[in-house]
Amino acid sequence: MSFRERLQSWRYNLVPDHLVGEILTKRWTDNAIPFLALVATLATFGSIIPGFFKLTALQESTRQLGEFSMVVTGMTVVMLGGGIDLSVGSIFALSCFSAVYVFFILEQSIWLALAASLATGLVFGAVNGYLVGYLRLRAFLTTLVTFIFGRALFDILVTTYAADVQLSQATSDVLDFIGDSTFWGLSVSVWLAIILAIVTHIALTRSRPGWHVLAVGGSRRSAHNAGIRVRRTVFMTYVFSGFCASIGGFLIACRLSGAGPGTGLNLEIMALTAAVVGGVSLGGGRGSVIKGLMGAIIVLTMTNGLIRLGYGTGTNQMVLGIMLAVAVTIDIRWLKNRHKVLNEVYVAPVYLKMGETQSAVPGSGTPYALDNRLSAADHIGLGELEGPEDVILDRDDHLYCGTRHGEIVRFFAPDYVKSEVFAHIGGFPLGLAFDKAGNLISCVGAMGLYSVSPDREVKRLSAETSRSWTSIVDDARLRDPNDCDIAPDGRIYFTDSTKRYDAHDWALDSIENRATGRLLVYDPRDGSTKTLLDGYRYTNGVCMAHDGKSLFFAESWACRVHRYWLEGPKAGTAECVIRDMPGYPDNINRASDGNYWMAWLGMRTPSLDLSLRHPDMRKRMTRRLPQDEWLFPNINTGGVVKFTEKGGIVEAMGDLSGGAHPMVTSMREHKGFLFVGGILNNRIGRYKIEGADPNWTSPASYWGAKP
Amino acid sequence: MILDPILDMFRGKAVTIPPLDGAFRPNTRLDDAPALVGLTEPDNLLVADGRLLASSGNAVYSIAAGAEPKVVETFPSPITALALSPSGELTVSIESGKLLISGKEVSLPADVSCITALAYAEDGTLWLANGSAQHAPSQWAADLMKKGASGSLWRRDAASGDFRKVAGDIAFPYGLHPIGGDVLVSESWRHQLVRFDGATGNRSTVLTHLPGYPARLSPSADGGAWLALFAPRNRLIEFVLQETHYRRDMIDQVPPAYWIAPSLASSRSFLEPLQCGGIRTMGIHKPWSPSRSYGLVVKLDQNIQPQFSLHSRANGTRHGICSVAEKDGRLFIASRGGNCVLAVDTGGF
Repeated sequence: MSFRERLQSWRYNLVPDHLVGEILTKRWTDNAIPFLALVATLATFGSIIPGFFKLTALQESTRQLGEFSMVVTGMTVVMLGGGIDLSVGSIFALSCFSAVYVFFILEQSIWLALAASLATGLVFGAVNGYLVGYLRLRAFLTTLVTFIFGRALFDILVTTYAADVQLSQATSDVLDFIGDSTFWGLSVSVWLAIILAIVTHIALTRSRPGWHVLAVGGSRRSAHNAGIRVRRTVFMTYVFSGFCASIGGFLIACRLSGAGPGTGLNLEIMALTAAVVGGVSLGGGRGSVIKGLMGAIIVLTMTNGLIRLGYGTGTNQMVLGIMLAVAVTIDIRWLKNRHKVLNEVYVAPVYLKMGETQSAVPGSGTPYALDNRLSAADHIGLGELEGPEDVILDRDDHLYCGTRHGEIVRFFAPDYVKSEVFAHIGGFPLGLAFDKAGNLISCVGAMGLYSVSPDREVKRLSAETSRSWTSIVDDARLRDPNDCDIAPDGRIYFTDSTKRYDAHDWALDSIENRATGRLLVYDPRDGSTKTLLDGYRYTNGVCMAHDGKSLFFAESWACRVHRYWLEGPKAGTAECVIRDMPGYPDNINRASDGNYWMAWLGMRTPSLDLSLRHPDMRKRMTRRLPQDEWLFPNINTGGVVKFTEKGGIVEAMGDLSGGAHPMVTSMREHKGFLFVGGILNNRIGRYKIEGADPNWTSPASYWGAKP
Repeated sequence: MILDPILDMFRGKAVTIPPLDGAFRPNTRLDDAPALVGLTEPDNLLVADGRLLASSGNAVYSIAAGAEPKVVETFPSPITALALSPSGELTVSIESGKLLISGKEVSLPADVSCITALAYAEDGTLWLANGSAQHAPSQWAADLMKKGASGSLWRRDAASGDFRKVAGDIAFPYGLHPIGGDVLVSESWRHQLVRFDGATGNRSTVLTHLPGYPARLSPSADGGAWLALFAPRNRLIEFVLQETHYRRDMIDQVPPAYWIAPSLASSRSFLEPLQCGGIRTMGIHKPWSPSRSYGLVVKLDQNIQPQFSLHSRANGTRHGICSVAEKDGRLFIASRGGNCVLAVDTGGF
């Protein structure tokens, strides 16, 4: 091995590149950028402004933050619903004035002042909501009008009543408490903001109205088609925003004991910036209250920090504008390109040097030499079937297979012309097996292990195993259950081929070649599923040995067959019985002569074997070429191979013309015939085996003669 | 976006090839055409004395509809090019690097050993395309995968019989079409047609970004030309051409028949490379799937611009067309990958 090759093997087998892709599949990566921005902002201002984190300074900042974050929460909800609310600043100011007017000029109780404040917010919110939601005016223009109108009204009122407020003698302990005191170390406004945030968060993520808001924001038309009352939902988001702004207004009234021309000035821009910087999408449907809060802290820290550094309002506004522009750009670019980035980085190939193999070329004289025998097979269901990965026959000679439409189709003996849909499961039914009671057990790709009773009742047996400690994606879920077989005691042994790719992307796993295949066991007595073996390169077919004391399983991309011992001195361990085959093994099943049949889904090619030693080349290939152009194993030629219990190869047959059975994923011997299936084929083949026992059937071999 | 050039360093630039569109729009004309005769790997077609000649292996055959090909002449090694002089002398070059005019060997300059095409100008000047300085004609795939650009263009004066090198550093010249004193050359590895000035050797590019590797050119009745493209461009192959280490290891360790390289025929062995799009699904091989071989003949007008084309697509069999010849309103097409000679009426286009 050259130095460069050794370096490559270290680089690609020791550095966990695949984690980048797995992290990117997580929803929480959306929060990463705003969170980093938050940390950066706090760190920057905390280090350049002395005493930034002092308690007294924080106290004042957090009070302000409480009011502001409430407004941002309201704005967030409106934006999640697909709208925008520019009038929050004027509603905030007017609510503040309402409270001040009722308390200081009318000299009513503080609770009445609160009521007036809330009423102002709700009325303005309702006006917005009615115009935008029910009359379907443009949110931007409508709330801009409300903003201008509200601001003008506030300016008139403030100049008219400013003197009266100053002269008022009204006082209240409650007002002082809300405005100045703290409760368990935090001011009332912060407590209120926290409660509001928690309630809103739960409502958005856990309640019907909250889901409706997200649905409407995500896609208005789909939400309408799903029966959601879109107009009312939009209306309610604006009312909620008004409500939030009015509480904020009431709190500032308490804190400042008055209202001035500066109250709520530019608040709408700050709130909008906060929401967008936090990562709430302008397009609607994506975002959360937490993101809004993060944005609120960033914006407030930034503006306060700049003021304390001595910069004026102009600079502040400019910084806000720049932040908004950057955030909007990132939001749009990220949204648009996230899946592209994910596609580019997800496939993370590893280094593998495949062993030298014997040739399978016809006439090469090796036991693997393929011939053209399978092209003579009769076809069953030609043109009706799509994707019979596995085939199986019952005691009455009827033939069953899965299809890519998620169905199990039954062909009736003796001629297999008539067929019916035996059961509909969904997913992609792959491996099949009959248990002692005659239930059809199936590994369903992308779903799990299922059982279909003779009277067609579909039951899920297992869809998960225990999760490993170091996984980033949830590897408890069965991603690609592939083949199963049943031990004499009823336990079902099955494979889950890969943790990295979904069932329909199975071939991509060969490009990456990462060892993530598992062997699992389902115990029908207690319904538990356990992982027996992990870390194989695409575990595939499973077959119980004739004596039921061990099982064979195929490791496709490594071209190996292993034997796993259920009993005896080696119980619980696996040993490799066939290695370095020229083809990729798929399902394994019993043969009538005491040997085993193995399907080859494809053939190794020298060019792909070489590329396995060049993981960097494969990585670049997946990034620079569209998937249709990628180098694949040659899965246009497969075959059927018979091997002995010791792993010796008896014979191999294929369809080199590729006309009938280019890829073979399964075969089942029954009464002297071999039934052949292929996951990408449109037929089942029936091939007469010379010299095979004409009475041997698989159900009898497993469960004895007919009861 | 303006950031693309910077991002490209991290994400890898997409490998792209010209689309089959416009005059290159796919059809199935080559697969629909009836085979005139079956012949093993017919390479170069030539009309001589009203007869159609085809080279195949070591022999030149005479071809007529409804009859077995008749051997006209055999040579000690495989034939690489044919031409007919204005005075009717059959000119043949062979794999071992020899040139024979009317059966007589002509001594060649030492640098000429890989003759891929021959053509006579009207004044009797013989044009020679020397494909590569390092490889024999049959090793063209190695020349491509090693990024060879050592081909040269030669002329032999009609009167004196002296050879003169007109131009060098051509990436596998594979076809010749004399135009007056100039010559049009298909520069295969650069997917382009180049016109060389007969006197000075100055080159001017005429047609670039061809969707395949151009092979031989032959005149058409209307004053234009026919161009055969022997293999398609393929994004995986172009990608491998940029992968130095993988390509070097492939040349060293993989038998040439199983390289990721263009080919005259494909899908004959399970040891050949397969691309995702070429997987047979539900009994269908997609005609638009990426392929290492293809059948493509293009008609060029008098200004050497493509007018229309004849195709055998990825799921077809008439692949690897290296030469065509027009005679009496019929176009004869030699498919090396399909082992046959086709005949199409030119009136039908």
